[in-house]
Amino acid sequence: MTTSKKVRLAPIYIALVLLVAVSVVPFVWMLATSFKHGSDVYTKVPSLLPLDRKTGDWSPTLENYEHVLQVGGLGQAFLNSVWVCLVLVPAKLLIDALAAYSFARIPFPGRDKLFVLMLAGMMVPTITLLVPRIHVTQQLGMFDSGWGLIIPNVASVLDIFLLRQFFLSLPGELEEAARIDGAGRMQIFWRIILPLSKPVLAVVTITSFIFHWNDLVWPLVVLNDPELYTLPLALQQLASSESGRAYYIMAGAALAVVPVIVVLLIFQRRIMQGIAFTGLKS
Amino acid sequence: MAYFIVFLLYPALSALYYSFTDWDLRTDAAWVGLANYVDLLSDDVKYPHFWKSVQVTLQYTLIAVPLTLGTALAQALLLNAIRRGSNVFRLLLFLPVVTAEAAVGAIWRWLYDPQYGLVNSFLGLFGIPGQNWLNTPELVIPALAFIAAWQCGISMIIYLAGLKGIPDSIREAAVIDGATPIQRFWRVVFPMLRPTTFYLLVTGVIAALQVFGLVYVIFSGGGGRSVTGGPEQSGLTYVLHLYLFAFRYDAMGAACAMSFILFVFIMIITALQFRFVKQEAS
Repeated sequence: MTTSKKVRLAPIYIALVLLVAVSVVPFVWMLATSFKHGSDVYTKVPSLLPLDRKTGDWSPTLENYEHVLQVGGLGQAFLNSVWVCLVLVPAKLLIDALAAYSFARIPFPGRDKLFVLMLAGMMVPTITLLVPRIHVTQQLGMFDSGWGLIIPNVASVLDIFLLRQFFLSLPGELEEAARIDGAGRMQIFWRIILPLSKPVLAVVTITSFIFHWNDLVWPLVVLNDPELYTLPLALQQLASSESGRAYYIMAGAALAVVPVIVVLLIFQRRIMQGIAFTGLKS
Repeated sequence: MAYFIVFLLYPALSALYYSFTDWDLRTDAAWVGLANYVDLLSDDVKYPHFWKSVQVTLQYTLIAVPLTLGTALAQALLLNAIRRGSNVFRLLLFLPVVTAEAAVGAIWRWLYDPQYGLVNSFLGLFGIPGQNWLNTPELVIPALAFIAAWQCGISMIIYLAGLKGIPDSIREAAVIDGATPIQRFWRVVFPMLRPTTFYLLVTGVIAALQVFGLVYVIFSGGGGRSVTGGPEQSGLTYVLHLYLFAFRYDAMGAACAMSFILFVFIMIITALQFRFVKQEAS
């Protein structure tokens, strides 16, 4: 790299570092606060490290985490969130893939019209569907239960659309060859289509996980029983009831945020891909 | 298939039906014709905050969407100009996107804390007096819009994809013609990004009109599930208001009517945006 190029790029790097600071410092401060002793949190000069306010020594603590996990109910909520995601994401993947496959490959009467209708349904804002969906969930006897969290979310038009596009791009000859060899439709689906679709299935899995791990609105309206709260909901409760104790709230926020950050670091390429396609379901 | 009928098609149609009724989710809905719509739009005794929530939402949209797109474009241009480290920078700029709304709300409440918050102490470095951001009616919307811009990572990724799609030859031709970087941006790069900008504008406006989770978390307080619209209802967005009707005041009919007004409004805005761009293109 020539010196003149370095000089030219310097302002760009400086600007990027500043922008990155704006996006990252809130997280650093969240973590620092979550490890601080209560007495060290409210200082005139905020510190990005868990330091003792008098001596300035390094003094992190895990008390805040212990408190929110036990007293604040976030431990239970964490388990609930894990459970919901473990059931919901694989079930959703299977149902979306089956639906996408039938839209892509099985010619049944009215298929394309039905598909267009489904896409049109996507135009209706989520909020418009919220009230009647709650009503349906109630009538099915799933209101305020784990199933109420899972069943109404177990298919996503957007994911079906994505998967269908991918299935359509797979060569049809493969399937014909398999059929000649005597494979049934489900066998073709399991043995040929799914293994070939790993990249897109990964995208759908990861974006679904992030979306449902973070989702606040549906659990908020469908659950009453605090025992069933998922992490975002429990965190929201904690934030409003402990509003004077930022160190507890930040410990709770860290519990909600850190798992997703870990997933982001591991699967960053797939996630960026997925975002370009799905906009994270927004 | 049954799934879509139960959770998509039926809710959409029944939302329309219930918007013509007086209904509290427990008893049978009573048909009242257009009364919900008429009252919402004109009876400011029965629905005192309807127009306020419309105003809040439009203000928010007008500030948040350009701010978000501008930030995203700036980030994408900077990232596109460098090679080394661009993946790391992109990842760090993207962190806010995968963060749960509940955590975002909790973290920013702490950042905006009037006494101990990082935002005020940062401004203090430049001698700018601290503000009580979330308790001053005029500052609530800018404060919320700033959070939206902080979370602009999805738009950034999409802009980046758009920038990668501009052929190098065009850029080189502009350089040979002696265009300055600023001229190159306005004459070459920005026009070529117009489809991307348009897409982000449409989806951004639709999302901004429906902002809910964040304001819900930021303005819920006092324990339990009590939630306010912020100081003098300055943070009472349309969907937050809708939520309160549906799940606090048991006015499901009015809530459904509100959701349909929003639906129609979104359709009109989207159609206008498409027409506007078509005219510009011709």
